[in-house]
Amino acid sequence: MKRFLLACLLAAPIAIVHAEQEDPWQVLQKAAQAAHDLSYKGVFVYQSGENVKSVQVTHMNYGQGEYARVVVLDGIPREMLSQGSDVVIFSPKNEKVIMEKRRAHNLFPAVLPTAVDNIKASYRARIGGIERVAGRDGRVVFLDPKDRLRYAYKFWADREYGLLLKSLMLNEQSQMLEQMTFSQIDMLENQDMDWFHPNVDHGKHYILEEGNAQPAQEVAEWAVGALPAGYRKVQQVTRMVPGKPSPVTQVIFTDGLASVSLFIEPLTKGTRPKIGQTAKGATNFYANVANGYQILVVGEVPAVTVAQIGSAVSFKK
Amino acid sequence: MKSQISALIDADLALEDAEYLYTTLKSGGESSEAWATYHLIGDAMRGNPVFKADFTERLMAQLDAEPALLVPAARRKQSIFKSGRIWSVAASVAAVAFVGWVVLQQQVQTSVDDGSSPMEIAQSLPADYLLAHQSLASSNSAYYIQPANYSE
Repeated sequence: MKRFLLACLLAAPIAIVHAEQEDPWQVLQKAAQAAHDLSYKGVFVYQSGENVKSVQVTHMNYGQGEYARVVVLDGIPREMLSQGSDVVIFSPKNEKVIMEKRRAHNLFPAVLPTAVDNIKASYRARIGGIERVAGRDGRVVFLDPKDRLRYAYKFWADREYGLLLKSLMLNEQSQMLEQMTFSQIDMLENQDMDWFHPNVDHGKHYILEEGNAQPAQEVAEWAVGALPAGYRKVQQVTRMVPGKPSPVTQVIFTDGLASVSLFIEPLTKGTRPKIGQTAKGATNFYANVANGYQILVVGEVPAVTVAQIGSAVSFKK
Repeated sequence: MKSQISALIDADLALEDAEYLYTTLKSGGESSEAWATYHLIGDAMRGNPVFKADFTERLMAQLDAEPALLVPAARRKQSIFKSGRIWSVAASVAAVAFVGWVVLQQQVQTSVDDGSSPMEIAQSLPADYLLAHQSLASSNSAYYIQPANYSE
């Protein structure tokens, strides 16, 4: 009897800890992994401002790499096929279908960085309750920014598979900026690859469009100084922009979740310089002119962040 | 029929089993277009080189890099460079390049705007830049679903 009591005493706290102390970061890490490792098929609804689109996603990974097909079900039938880190996007445009090749992109439910440790410096995670999404139980995790330089997120992770069922981005006033939520999700049950091909429209011409962004080195004329806390540079490219005679430099920054692009180009005669700030949905814009250069910053981050990155550019005479 | 063409390209279908497919393809029409489309899509998916925008430059560079001709001296006079054919190729490449240059010049001129005073960015959202941002920013789901330049 004594032994039994002792066992109960020892076991009880462990059971309580297990029930109450689910680590929010562990839930997010599992969700990040599940999106790449599992094989699933579902339909999610994407919503940003007035835009609402249903999107079908099929993802397969049986240990031989990732295969995915994403089809936009409303409006223009855009679709995307990816194999490993190679992505081809098919966008019908009038009588043509433009095929674009891209490097890997994060797409719902794979929106979290594979190493969630990278975002711990900028966000605070907190566990929420259980809410039902797409007929499944989801564990709520709040991701709150530690400062005003990024938006807040709320995630729902499938309690059984770990996969994200829903993702919500909120501004400082807790208003929805962007939301993706499964309305239906199933695990794939066979290794059939029949689904892995685009829906070909034989009435249209297929045109392959080459990506025009070229990797670029740092330049001598200007440099980006102190970045907003938590942001780091990930890429620098030069690219042609329609209507601009010379290439534009694009520098991309991220805090692990949110991304910002900085564009710098010499002012050209006859093109009106742009200044000021504006927003469209979750995207903020900042424009300024300095030393004969047009500076433009675009990102799904608060207005203060694009302004700070724009002001961080310094010129060397 | 079309799925069989696709299977043939993917080598899921043996050529011997597809003799009738081949005959139909030779006859042209819709099937041969399907053949071309599937090949283009397949090339895109596999990352095979296709004709790129800088095709003319690469052709000219290729011509420059042509190895010396190892033909007997007596026959050298009839080499490809003397045959005239290569010059007609070069001429058409040059003609295309010239037309392209003229078009480019016109485009540059029409885009010139007299106003050079700064304007508020809110007055005209830079859709091309937003699209460029969306296409490279890895966290952006909107690019696949609702890209900036596709207004419906």
